[in-house]
Amino acid sequence: MSVKRDEVLTADPAEPAGAAALLEVRDLRIRFTRGGRRVHAVNGLSYRLDAGQMLAIIGESGSGKSVSARALLGLLPSSAEVSGSARFEGAELVGMPEREIRRRRGRDIAMVFQDPARSLNPTMRIGAQITEAIRAHSGIGRKEADERAVELLKLVRLPAAERRFHEYPHQLSGGMRQRVVIAIALAGEPRLLIADEATTALDVTTQAQIMQLLVELRERLGMAVVMISHDLGLAASYAQHVVVMYAGRAVEYASARRLFGHVRMPYTQALLGAVPLLEREPHAPLPVISGQPPDPAAIPKGCAFRPRCASATGRCEQAPPFSEHEPGHWWACWHPAEDPPGGSGGSGGGGENGATR
Amino acid sequence: MTAVAAGRHRGVGGRLFASPSVRLVGKRLLMAVPITLGVSILTFWVLNLIPGNAAQQLLGADATPEQIRAMELQLGLDKPAPLRYLDWLGGAVTGDLGRSLVSGQSVAGQLGERLAVTGELVAMAFVVSLLLAVPVALLAAYHPNRFFDRLSMFVSVTGLSVANYVLALVLVLVFAVRFAVFPAIGFVPLSESVGGNLHSLVLPSAAIGIPMFCLYTRFLRGDLVDQMQGQDYVVTAQAKGVGPWQVLLRHAFRNSSFGLITVVGLNLSTLIGATVIIEQIFALPGLGQLMLQAINTRDMAVVQACVVVFAVVAVLANLLTDLLYAVLDPRIRYGSR
Amino acid sequence: MAVVEAPPVPAADADEAAPRARTWTRGLGVAVPAALLALVAGACFLAPLVLPVPSPTGGNILEAGLPTGSPGHLLGTDPNGNDILSRILYGGQTSLIVAVTVNLLGLAVGGTLGALSGYVGGAADTVIMRLLDVLIAFPSLVLTLAVAQSLGPSLTNTILALGFFSVPAFARISRAATLSLREQPFMAAARLCGTKGWRVLLRHIAPNIAPQLTTFGMLGMGVVIVIEGALSFLGLGIPAPAPSWGNMISQGQASLSATPMLVLWPSLILFVTVLAFNLLGESLRTRWSVR
Ligand SMILES: Nc1ncnc2c1ncn2[C@@H]1O[C@H](COP(=O)(O)OP(=O)(O)OP(=O)(O)O)[C@@H](O)[C@H]1O
Ligand code: SF4
Ligand SMILES: [Mg+2]
Repeated sequence: MSVKRDEVLTADPAEPAGAAALLEVRDLRIRFTRGGRRVHAVNGLSYRLDAGQMLAIIGESGSGKSVSARALLGLLPSSAEVSGSARFEGAELVGMPEREIRRRRGRDIAMVFQDPARSLNPTMRIGAQITEAIRAHSGIGRKEADERAVELLKLVRLPAAERRFHEYPHQLSGGMRQRVVIAIALAGEPRLLIADEATTALDVTTQAQIMQLLVELRERLGMAVVMISHDLGLAASYAQHVVVMYAGRAVEYASARRLFGHVRMPYTQALLGAVPLLEREPHAPLPVISGQPPDPAAIPKGCAFRPRCASATGRCEQAPPFSEHEPGHWWACWHPAEDPPGGSGGSGGGGENGATR
Repeated sequence: MTAVAAGRHRGVGGRLFASPSVRLVGKRLLMAVPITLGVSILTFWVLNLIPGNAAQQLLGADATPEQIRAMELQLGLDKPAPLRYLDWLGGAVTGDLGRSLVSGQSVAGQLGERLAVTGELVAMAFVVSLLLAVPVALLAAYHPNRFFDRLSMFVSVTGLSVANYVLALVLVLVFAVRFAVFPAIGFVPLSESVGGNLHSLVLPSAAIGIPMFCLYTRFLRGDLVDQMQGQDYVVTAQAKGVGPWQVLLRHAFRNSSFGLITVVGLNLSTLIGATVIIEQIFALPGLGQLMLQAINTRDMAVVQACVVVFAVVAVLANLLTDLLYAVLDPRIRYGSR
Repeated sequence: MAVVEAPPVPAADADEAAPRARTWTRGLGVAVPAALLALVAGACFLAPLVLPVPSPTGGNILEAGLPTGSPGHLLGTDPNGNDILSRILYGGQTSLIVAVTVNLLGLAVGGTLGALSGYVGGAADTVIMRLLDVLIAFPSLVLTLAVAQSLGPSLTNTILALGFFSVPAFARISRAATLSLREQPFMAAARLCGTKGWRVLLRHIAPNIAPQLTTFGMLGMGVVIVIEGALSFLGLGIPAPAPSWGNMISQGQASLSATPMLVLWPSLILFVTVLAFNLLGESLRTRWSVR
């Protein structure tokens, strides 16, 4: 299929016209009850991801990125209530019985976490931690699993894989540990890998190496990747599509190419505001947006960004719908930004009212 | 595969002395020496807080000053305390712990058998409490806050609040008085009958072991739940798709076991101290009973020896848990980068 | 153009009253044991003042061995004709006084020593901690027995001996808490501002380590009550005619099969008191999220 990316995305993320998506998340909502308070961590998140593609989810700290990702694997604490829908190859993940979703963990969807120092068991050898993942889904013998584990360590380019196989996590550097974590994630040959800030804890050079590795693995294994990050620069340089999250909602969604040329959401603009696009140093600290992200236990009515938004009007007291205003470009805002003068200009202006129900 | 197999047995002997755990063991062994010395000095000092005490107490209140003086000379109490300590220490390191002031027997000779009884009591209480605590804590942590978990927490918090002498008497009341299943007092030596020996130790070791069981269960259950809920590596393991028992056992329990070792180590001296009162209640011929008798007959040489032996045993037991830690924890075994 | 369901963004007030049950039970976790302790302490210290409680000693031998529920002797009398309830109340006074003073001693001496040791660091820290290691390695009951024997059994000596052995545990906890505080930015700020050492200790360290020490003190209260009981049980704590829970249990042991209540009454109150202190300590620990 040689379709241009933007065309693929013309379809509704929730009701695709083209080939069935690998993952369709639709109006996902997650809330926690803690100490008598309801915490709304995710309040209607929708996106879609096709096989073999890389999608970036970006947003400030606390915007619900990790929680929404863990929900796909059924890995939330029991205090979480999940509603909405998340279909993986057509199978509904929300509310799937524990037994069934456990079979899918690692085999359909695998996950890499932020802190490689903490995501490996300090008391188990590297090799055992990988073979455990291999044997969770296949009946192969110990010897074969060992061989496969070494292969995986080589695949993630861990130097001296045979020796590392027998070592413990504390004997490895941060970057090497993250490679091990990725090897574990690859053990079940998943079709989707979720990398939750997989490079945040690493130094700049290592960060680039790990991202490079993920891109390469995606191409080689045909595996889709969801990368979660605060770092727009990182998203811009690696992902095909970007979802911007704010206060637990998707507020803008487009192909990376389109998004960075035609930002519509004031929030995304603010994220980009501090530093010019793409030319921005890839690993600069997060752009600072004035004001505080809302307390997930008390999200303002209407547009959640309103208190911090320069373009806010009275209309923003109504929640703006998240809809496809321009082909392949989704956002939730009453007063979208114009393209900067001299810029490439928006293609096909979708009527903003077309979305209101 | 050959590379994998070969790597598994990489030169163990050659690196033995360079290994961090061996170094740690050495360090701990060296530290045990000053601690033991400190303990014996402390004991000596405490028992000699009041000068002339020993002679006065031995002779009773109506002894004349001359009699006391003569007794002090006889016991060597006229020498300054530091000198007396050095004398004692010199004897102690060669295995001579002095003579009983009352019976005139060699103290060291009396200690051996007594130590065996106390040791058996402690070992039995310890092993049984640990063997019970581990499965109970695992079952409780498997489904936190369900019925079994709440029950086990209720039992362990309650059990921790029962003084061991109260527990001992209640056990006697129930299992010796009401239902005569176990003897209330008396000790059958191991050499006489193994079954009888164990039978005679059931109640005393239960009185010591039950509070320990409660302590271990509560700690382990709490730590397991913390690991399961708060640790990223547990989520990694779950994300692999392995079953919940495997996550609990291979991941959480492995890590919690180090905390458990620490707790065991910190409470060993309590465990050992508990034997004094329990041996008294059940009339077991152990070290604690000997010490109490010596205290009542004001036999300072025996008291001193018992206290020091208790202390040394506690220090050694602590050392043992440290060593266990060093052997089991790969972070220590292989050093850190 | 398709529309993804426009989510009416959930507002805080759109939410039904969130369950409050848990905070409520949490409050109970502190209130119930605290009330229980107030009850025990009130009974021990106030009841003898306002109610006609008979003397705990010098009982009438003609009234010896009365069963529970006898007129004028609610819990009966012991073989010496002393009222059991009265002995429990007066014995409780001793137990509570010992527990409070011992823990205050340990808190004051150990807490200061640990905080100083952690704050100053270096060689002083090493020396202090090594010395305390000696004490911690020691089965304290054993040495307390020896001390009690050497000094002669009395209330003061019991307090001194137990206080001595409570120092290292308090010191360890306060040191560990101080060490973790030292890393905090406000400590560096205080030092940069040239605040004097003792002021830092008083104004910054003391209030921050107080929760840890208090929780530990609650658990320590239970421990001291049990050990004081053990000393008295062995005849090396509170000397004989004066009542104490420990020596009551010990005296009752002689006729355990005939009159178990002589043992069970003091045991029960001992258990309830220790349990209340433990529960209070636990609740405070969770409330202040102290480890
Ligand atoms: N177990 C939980 N109980 C209650 N609230 C939770 C729980 N886990 C997460 N939350 C809340 O959900 C919100 C979203 O958290 P999440 O970890 O998804 O944020 P994030 O976008 O990944 O942020 P970061 O960039 O810091 O990782 C936060 O406000 C957090 O406090
Ligand atoms: S809807 Fe209004 S408040 Fe929200 S981002 Fe758009 S302009 Fe700002
Ligand atoms: Mg996150």
